[in-house]
Amino acid sequence: MRGLRAWLFRLLGMFDRERRERELSEELASHLQMHIEDRIRAGMDPAAARRDALIRLGGVEVTKERYRERRGIPWLEIMRQDVIYGLRTMRRNPGFAAAAVLTLGLGIGATTAIFTVVYAVLLRPLPYPQPDRLVYIKENLVTGINFFAGNREFATWQRRSKSLSTLAAYMSGEATLTGVGAAERVTTGSVTASFFPLLGAQPVLGRNFLPEEDRPGGVRVAILSHAFWQRRFAGDRSALGKVLALDGQGYTVVGVLPASFLVPDRYAFLRGHDYDVWTPFALDPSGAGFQLVRAVGRLAPGVSREAAQAELDALLQPLVRKGRTKHVVLADWQEEIAGGVKRSLLFFLAAAGFVLLIACVNVANLLLSRASAREKEMAVRHALGAGRSRLVRQLLTESGLLALSGGIAGLALAFWGKDLLVAFISRNLPVVEPIRVDYRVLGFTLALALLTGLVFGLAPALESAGVRWHEALKGAGRGAAGGRSRHGLRDLLVVVEVALAMVVLVGAGLLIKSFLLLRGINAGFQADRVLTLRVNLTESKYPTAREQSLFFQQVLERLQGLRGVQAAGATGNLPLGGNRADGAVTIEGRPESGSDIASATVTPGYFLTLGIPLLAGRGFTDFDREGAPGVALVNQSFVRRYFPNEDCLGKRVKSWFTKNQWMSIAGVVGDVREDLKKEPPPEIYLSYLQAGRSSMYLVARAAGDAKSLSAGIRAQMAAIDRDQPPDDVMTMEERRAEDLAPRRVDMLLLGSLAALGLVLGAIGIYGVVSYSASRRTHEIGIRVALGAGRADVLSLVLGQGLWLVLIGETVGLAGALALNRVVASMVFRITTTDPVTYAGVAAIWAAVGIVACYLPARRAMRVDPLAALRSE
Amino acid sequence: MSGKTDVWQGTLALMVLKTLETIGPLHGYGIARRIEQVSGDLLSVNYGTLYPALLKLEQEGYIASEWGVSDNNRKAKYYKLTRAGRKQLEREASNWEQATAILARFLAPAKEAP
Repeated sequence: MRGLRAWLFRLLGMFDRERRERELSEELASHLQMHIEDRIRAGMDPAAARRDALIRLGGVEVTKERYRERRGIPWLEIMRQDVIYGLRTMRRNPGFAAAAVLTLGLGIGATTAIFTVVYAVLLRPLPYPQPDRLVYIKENLVTGINFFAGNREFATWQRRSKSLSTLAAYMSGEATLTGVGAAERVTTGSVTASFFPLLGAQPVLGRNFLPEEDRPGGVRVAILSHAFWQRRFAGDRSALGKVLALDGQGYTVVGVLPASFLVPDRYAFLRGHDYDVWTPFALDPSGAGFQLVRAVGRLAPGVSREAAQAELDALLQPLVRKGRTKHVVLADWQEEIAGGVKRSLLFFLAAAGFVLLIACVNVANLLLSRASAREKEMAVRHALGAGRSRLVRQLLTESGLLALSGGIAGLALAFWGKDLLVAFISRNLPVVEPIRVDYRVLGFTLALALLTGLVFGLAPALESAGVRWHEALKGAGRGAAGGRSRHGLRDLLVVVEVALAMVVLVGAGLLIKSFLLLRGINAGFQADRVLTLRVNLTESKYPTAREQSLFFQQVLERLQGLRGVQAAGATGNLPLGGNRADGAVTIEGRPESGSDIASATVTPGYFLTLGIPLLAGRGFTDFDREGAPGVALVNQSFVRRYFPNEDCLGKRVKSWFTKNQWMSIAGVVGDVREDLKKEPPPEIYLSYLQAGRSSMYLVARAAGDAKSLSAGIRAQMAAIDRDQPPDDVMTMEERRAEDLAPRRVDMLLLGSLAALGLVLGAIGIYGVVSYSASRRTHEIGIRVALGAGRADVLSLVLGQGLWLVLIGETVGLAGALALNRVVASMVFRITTTDPVTYAGVAAIWAAVGIVACYLPARRAMRVDPLAALRSE
Repeated sequence: MSGKTDVWQGTLALMVLKTLETIGPLHGYGIARRIEQVSGDLLSVNYGTLYPALLKLEQEGYIASEWGVSDNNRKAKYYKLTRAGRKQLEREASNWEQATAILARFLAPAKEAP
């Protein structure tokens, strides 16, 4: 206790030094005076008394020094001195300080920004009680991982598992909401009654689901998300007890969840939407029927994940059909949620780390050049009694200061950069809480700054400490090209820098090329001026295919009469829509084909609207209806695969989409891509009047701006049935951009990091070459005096720098080749060893290197030999 | 040279506390003089040891200081015992007595030996 108090006072003792010093002087002076007066009173003469006092009491300065040591905390005092001195040095040389701080700030900022996202997604615990005990239940089918469980397994586990204290299931869906104001498509979540208690969610209004509501035939009730409650009911408590109709069925509102409650989604199935309405799952406890669920559970106290996995697996085995293999895999829920983005996030963090390393190397180089300029200063300090460790300490304090300033600059950058980053990629980020810079991120930045300070400060500090002082004092180091070993170190740093930057640039180059290739792909349709809207007919209102097609027929008739609409149609699956239905198709007289045949139900106007060419035969007409002979259209890929050398028109095919009715092929249309990254699959088109669907996309080509059609189309649809609102309204160009969005994000992120690395690397080369050129001014002066021409000087300086760049490039290319497996999952249509990219990157670096070396070389060419020689 | 011993560390603090208890508030010079006198001029207190020791005691809260005026009208810093200092004095004094008593037994001629 006392010790702590004393330390506190010593800490305080470091402040208000002037007053303390004055008081100490006064106290000692009065002590001395009293002593002298006593002696005089005892009969001594004043001069002798004074001498006696000084001898007996000991030196004043020594006393003061001992007093000071006790008053403050010596090592802290030294640090303070170093810091003050360091700040003064920074102020005296603002250009140097600014360059170092900016360089570090860029590196630290980029790393921190990405770390902020990494932390929020991968490290921050889920905002539920004891999140580390939550597990997600998957099934390993040998052929792949199944992320869903069947209701039969789930019921068995729920009934018999002892290793899980709670087990819950949830599933996302969509429904058309009617009954309260305007009709709307909403995102629904079906959950077991145990789901909210598992996650510790307590409704802010009303109650949770009851177990008896959570079974088939239970009362239909709903719990609203906070946001939905605010949006549709303006936060009115009277929402409780209201009846919502979801796809035509009534649900009574019994609760509202807190605003903070969110459920993250690994695969962004919800496409950035949050759940609006929750309803009980109504899983059949007997396991009858077949429903897919996503199962999460909480491990019982003391039970390990492995033990629980073994138990659930044992319970699963009796349910596995003979001849099939299936095993339970328990994943940490957070890891499961973040699994989809973990790889790429860590990849970008590593790339940012590379850039930070480049920044460190740069600053180390700056410090090294300054260290040689300060050799004399150090020698003087050493001569005045500063030990080597004291000098190293001072230099490290100075680099620490630089690093901290860089850290602050980086933090400012990260604050802004993180928002940019989140805006870029948030749609695909499975986070529960907003991404923010909190104290843990601050801690990370601080640690990063100190670490970088140590990394870039250590080499120059040790170097300085190793200098032979008397030589430095004599000035022997000046004029010559500097210590050989120091030169070697600086050259090595440049090589490292170039190599690191090359690796990142190659990665970025691959991503950019891959993106450009994807963007340039002809998807097989004309995307401009086309608006698309999804319509999901409520099946309870439109139960039969005939009623469904009738609805779409009516809508299309109205659309074709709408001002500004040039053409309109509808399709079950849009190109680039990601909702393709694959199936098997049988061609008459042949064995069943593979099961990868895409199938789409379309209206006659569809091909015209999207500009998909008809290559042979005829398209659909309104006569291809129920009762008329079945017809189908096929695409070129289909023809290439099944009718490479014969005419396919008139051949008959059947698929389970049309209840295995034979259909004759009436025409061939152009290939359309489902996914820009893949080749178009064989596809078969069916007439919507023969194969009705409840869910279709309307497509309309506008004379002008596609977006402007939206309001008119909505109004036309509402006039037919106001309870069938369209959703997912986007132009075709937007869909195309969205398909490329993840690639674009990857490319821009890595591209900006690579650009940063390139700039920093160029600065590094420039710095080293111009420094060494300036150290060689004397030598160059002699050479010029002896008759060297400008070209000789140029090649002397340029040659040295370019040689380093060349070595760096070679190392970098090798490094990129070794590391490029990492980008393999982000690169499409080219291999990760694409020689053009490598050559291009090498050329870019060569060009940058030449510019960075040429500038100092040009200065060296202008050296006036007389001035250079005289300066010695 | 003069046969005087410098006060050894550790005991100085105790002597300071005892002096302040006996005499009441006192300045540094007075404390030094008093210690020298009580020791029969066997000890010499130079201020190189005294003032850091006073500072340490003050930091630990055993004594407090304030500026005052000495008998012959000189400005001086006066130290006085705090309540914590009084307790510390008791504790230290009894420790010291015990230690010297034990040591005395060791050094005394072994009377009890049979």
